[in-house]
Parts: sequence; C-alpha cells; structure tokens
Amino acid sequence: MIIFVVFPILNTIYISFLSPEGGFIGLENYAMVIGSKKIFNLEGLPKNPPLGAFVHNMIWILIHLPLSIISGLIFAIILKDVKGSSIVKTLVFLGMVTPMVVGGLIIRYTFEKDVGIVNGLLSLIGLGDLTKSWTAYPDTALFALIFGSVWLWTGFSMILYSAGLATIPKDYYEAAKIDGAGPFKMFFRITLPLLRSITVTVVTMTILYELKIFDIVLVATYGGPGEASSVLAFQMWLYAFRYFQFNKAAVVASLLTILTTIVTIPMIKFMVKR
Amino acid sequence: MVNKVEISIIALVLIAIIVSGAALGYSLSILDKLDKLTSNMADLTSSLIDLTGTVADVAEKVGASLDAINEIQSRLEEVESRLMPTITVIGPWSGAEMDKFLPVLARFEALTGINVRYKIYRAEELATLLPAQFATGTAPGDVIFMWGWFIAENAKNGHVMEVTDLIDESKFLSGSLDAVKVNGKFYGCAYTGKVKPGFWYRKSFFAARNLTEPKTWNEFLTLLDTLKAMGFEHPIVSGDEIGWPLSDIAEHFLITYGGPELQLQLIDGTASWTEDSVRGVFENYLVPLLENGYFSEPIEWTTAKDQWWQGDYALYFMGSWITGMVDDPSDLGVFSLPDCEGLVFAADYFFIPKYTQYSDEAKELFKFLASSEAQRLQVAQGGHIATNIEVSLDSYPEVDRRVANLTVGKAVLPDLDDSIGGEFQATFWDQLKLLWVSPQSLDDILRAIEAVAP
Repeated sequence: MIIFVVFPILNTIYISFLSPEGGFIGLENYAMVIGSKKIFNLEGLPKNPPLGAFVHNMIWILIHLPLSIISGLIFAIILKDVKGSSIVKTLVFLGMVTPMVVGGLIIRYTFEKDVGIVNGLLSLIGLGDLTKSWTAYPDTALFALIFGSVWLWTGFSMILYSAGLATIPKDYYEAAKIDGAGPFKMFFRITLPLLRSITVTVVTMTILYELKIFDIVLVATYGGPGEASSVLAFQMWLYAFRYFQFNKAAVVASLLTILTTIVTIPMIKFMVKR
Repeated sequence: MVNKVEISIIALVLIAIIVSGAALGYSLSILDKLDKLTSNMADLTSSLIDLTGTVADVAEKVGASLDAINEIQSRLEEVESRLMPTITVIGPWSGAEMDKFLPVLARFEALTGINVRYKIYRAEELATLLPAQFATGTAPGDVIFMWGWFIAENAKNGHVMEVTDLIDESKFLSGSLDAVKVNGKFYGCAYTGKVKPGFWYRKSFFAARNLTEPKTWNEFLTLLDTLKAMGFEHPIVSGDEIGWPLSDIAEHFLITYGGPELQLQLIDGTASWTEDSVRGVFENYLVPLLENGYFSEPIEWTTAKDQWWQGDYALYFMGSWITGMVDDPSDLGVFSLPDCEGLVFAADYFFIPKYTQYSDEAKELFKFLASSEAQRLQVAQGGHIATNIEVSLDSYPEVDRRVANLTVGKAVLPDLDDSIGGEFQATFWDQLKLLWVSPQSLDDILRAIEAVAP
C-alpha cells in the first residue's frame, strides 16, 4: 500500500512543484497548467468546444451522469420480475465488460458518416442533412464520446439498481396500494428514498469514472479535432508521453487526485453514518 | 562272568570313543575349513586392499575428469553465448510489412550466426515506454526503430550509443542522416524510407474515364471539377488516424507553393507559421480545396485506402508504402502537385540504446541494416526506398522504381513534424484535423501551431 499507492502519490505531488531541471519552483507549474488554454479555454463564451480539458470533464459529468443513472434505473424497473430479463440485462451489461479501447473504436464507427448506425437512424427519420462523422467535428466530437459512454456505463447503474430494488419489501407497495397510491407516488415516496444509498454509490462511482476517462478519447478522437474532445486524463498523458513535460503531467495528476478526493469523501461519510 | 553293568560301561566308552573320534574328525574338518576360510579372508582382505587402492586411483582419475568436464562445459557455454546470442530488434511493422522485413533479419542471421528476435512496437507506444525504461537503465531491445527527433533528444540525455564509427555518411542520401546527428556525431542511422510523392490513382480508373495527370494547377482544378461532375462528391479521400495523413498533405502544399526551403525553415524555426509566405499557401491553395469539398472529411486511413481502391474516391494522398498495401500495384499511378520541386522522404531511423547487453552483436546488426545489401533486399520486395545510394534503381519493383524516379531532380526533404516532434507534432496533427472540417478557422489554427513551433 505504501510502496504502490502512497509513495507514488506523494512523489507525483512533489514533482509537480519542481522544474524540469529539478529545482523547486513553487506553484509556477500550477499557474502554467491552469492558465493554459488546454485546461481552461473560456474566451469568447458562449461557444462550441474546445473549452479546455477541465470544462470538458465537467460537461461530461453534467450530461453523462443523469443520463446513465436514469437509464440504468429505468432498465432496472422495467426488467424487474420480467421473464427473460436476464438476457436483456446481459445485453445492456455488455458495455461494462467491453474493454474501453474497443468501446472507443465502437463509438468512433457508430458515429461515422458512411457506416455509422447513428447517421443511418438520422437518415431514416428524415434528418439526413445532419449526417456527418461526429468525431471529426469540434462541435460534435465531445458529445459523440459522451453519448457513446452512456451506453458503456448504463449497465453499471442498472445492475446496482436491480440489486437495490430486490431488497425493497413488497409489503410497502401493497400497503401503499391499499392507501390508494398510484405508481408515480409509489416510485417517488417509496422506491427512490429506499434506493438512496445505491444512488449515492452510483453517483460517486460514475463521477470517478467520468473524471478518469481516457481510453475512449485516445482511440476515438485523440482529443481532437483542435482539442475539442480533450479531457484531463488525456491531457495528463499528452504532457507526460508526447510532450515529455513530466512536471506539468504531475500537476494534472495532482489536480485529478484532489478532484477524486473531493468526490469520494462525502460518499465515505455517508456510508459511515449509515 | 562279565556282568551287564560292565558291558554297558564298555559300550558307553566305545560310543564315547566313536563320538569323540567323529567329533574330532568333524572338528578337524571344521578347522580345516576355518583355515581355508581364514586364508580366503586373508586373500579377500588383500584383494579389498588392492581394490581400495584401485578405486582410489579411479576416483582420482574420475575427479580429474569431472573437473575437466565441468571446465569444458563452462567453456562451451561461454562459446555458445558468444557465438549465438539472441538480440532483439523492435520495429513498427506488422502484417504484410513485417513479412517483408523478416527476410532481411534472416539474411543477417545466416551471415553472422547471431539470432535475432523481432518485436512489434509502434513509435507512439515506444514514446510512452522508452523514457521510463531509460530512467531505470534498461531497454526493451538492442536495436530500435524510432522517430529521428526522439533519437536525437535521448542522445542528448545520454541514453543512446554513439555510432559515428559505424557509418559512412557519404553512402547515404544527402541530408538523410541529419535527424540523428547531434553536435557532429551520429547516434542513429537511416534504414529505408518512404517517399510522400503525391496523389495516387488507379490507372484503370483514369483510363476508363479518359482522365490524365494534371501538369498545371488549373489542370488540377479542372480534373477535380470533372470528377465532381462525374458524381464524386469528394474526389480526394482524406485519411485520418492521429493526424499524420493530413500533415503529409499540408507539407506537400507548403513545399510545392512555398518552396523546398520553406520546409527547412519551418523545421529550424526561422520561418513563422503566421507569416504571409506560409499563410498564403494555405489561403490560396489548400483552404479553397477544403471549402469547395474536394477533400472528404477525415476517414480512418486504411478504411480510406479500401474505399479509394474500390472506386468510391478518385485520388488518395499517401506515402509510397501504399504500393505494398494494394492487390495490384501495377495499376497504381501517382502524380505530385504541378510545379512541385521537393518531396518529403521519411526515413525509418534506428538506434542502439546504451543499455543493451549485446553491444557487439547490436553493432553488427546496425552496420548490416545500414548496408546496401540489407536495403537492396528490402526494396526488392516493394514499398521501400533505400537511403543507401549504392542501391541501384534495378533493385526496385517497377512501381517503386517510378516512385524513386519521382525524386530525381527534386529536393529530398525531411518530414516536418517528424523532425521537430514533441508538443509541436501532436499539436500540428490535431490542428490540421480541425482545419479539414473548419477551414474558416485558418488564422486561429496557424496561431495555435506557431505557439508550439521551434
């Protein structure tokens, strides 16, 4: 634990305060990285991406989080106590067991102009004018990755919610029915509150996934075009292994560590309280 | 009268005498046997003593033999390791390209007896792997193919073996070794390379439509318009990957309409990406073609090659390795942009890491790969152009001979982004992908490139 986790984290944070020559330079690296358009590119708002890797991660969270939670919950509810649901659940869960590199390739070709299923569907419903290779354009590349990622991650929330739904006693619903409650009231007054701990877990794990997303960006768009789909983890990799600026890479790694800690602490507190 | 008692006594005495006699006789015989036994034992003891001496002699001799055997064995192992080490070559080629490289290594093995193992790593993967390995004083191979700028950069940091005495620069294409030269010393060499000659087409495609290669810029535009009128929405397919296919096209335009010198000035930083000479090439030549839809949007480059080959597109800008990627290379034709006076020649560079355990054997392979024999063997299989000038045009298949001929009378130039590398290369590739779909953003794109240029 100390050798493989604690030491590397502390060493990375230490490197982030050094110059390439090894001298201590305080927060200079942080100023350079955070001040770079690669991380924050907000001039000329409102505008399409590129908006900077940090902002792209936040957009990813804002769109991907509710979509994957809601779709996972819907699947779990619809497939509860349904014959053959295990087959459907398996199909939905396929995204979770697909390697992210393969997932990135699938996303790329799903949104390809000539062979992609998304463009095929758009043509089918009369929106042929919108067909293009989504991953090739700065205004759609990031969103193609986000929507593709919803398919990859929905299985996770579905499985957790399925397990949570199975723990809710049926007596509650029967009692509510007797009192005249309809399905919506039962859902909001019984199901959701009793799924609270599951929801906290799903939200936390999903945000962590969204912060560390890298593979599908690397494979599908390489962060482009024009940095329009770059994210923090990808930018960290670029700094380290393409630019050979290891101190700046350490800065991004430290920022990611801080962000994930901020996300994780509330969940741990919640679990401990329970 | 003799009484019964006296008779009994006499009988007993007689019996006793007889038994005694028998016992005596038996005892005598036992004694005799004992004597013999004793004598035998004495003999045996004597023999044992002799045997012991013999065994000791034998043991002494065997011991000496064992020592000798051990010594012989260790010498054999030493000779074996010296005679047949296995060195590792790391290169980017897989599939059909790898099949064309392996015979070169096999030839080296046959000549030298040194075993060679080939491992596949792309340059992008090595860029991630090598810095960490070098930091620990190790290397995954003994001879490694890698970008020239990467070799030079790591030579400055002391991770690369100097090989000046292994190279005769006069035997190589002029300028082809500049990328791996640091402070007048060589740290790598050029193997074969690829030319990026221009726009490829299928001769059968052109013949069926009565099309000809353009000789002027206006003829080029006319050709593109003719293809559009024939129903090709985008006559030229654009390959995509991490960005290098588009950078090859951009460099070809810069060299043709900015001059060969401009390429070198952009590499060494004496020209700016925002100055008129550079901006003008984009604004007057490349951007209009993009805005008018003559280029397709970027498509994964091997898929683009397949679609072009089956007739979905008419033209494809690609390097000369394409001759090894199509079913019928004899159907291939290629033309440079009209008035082009320089071509990019992208050599495949290789080096020996300082941390190799087989430096002598690695040097032997290094010299072989730099030799005309190895390069002749490679180019004969198609898709490669030699950097060693002792390889004659006769060594090439017909289509590659035409490609090699294209360089005659033209300046041979290094690849721009491969020469600079680092943050510039990644940014250059990324910004060109943006230019292809958003040509109206030219000024922002040139500023972004200039910000990371040398």
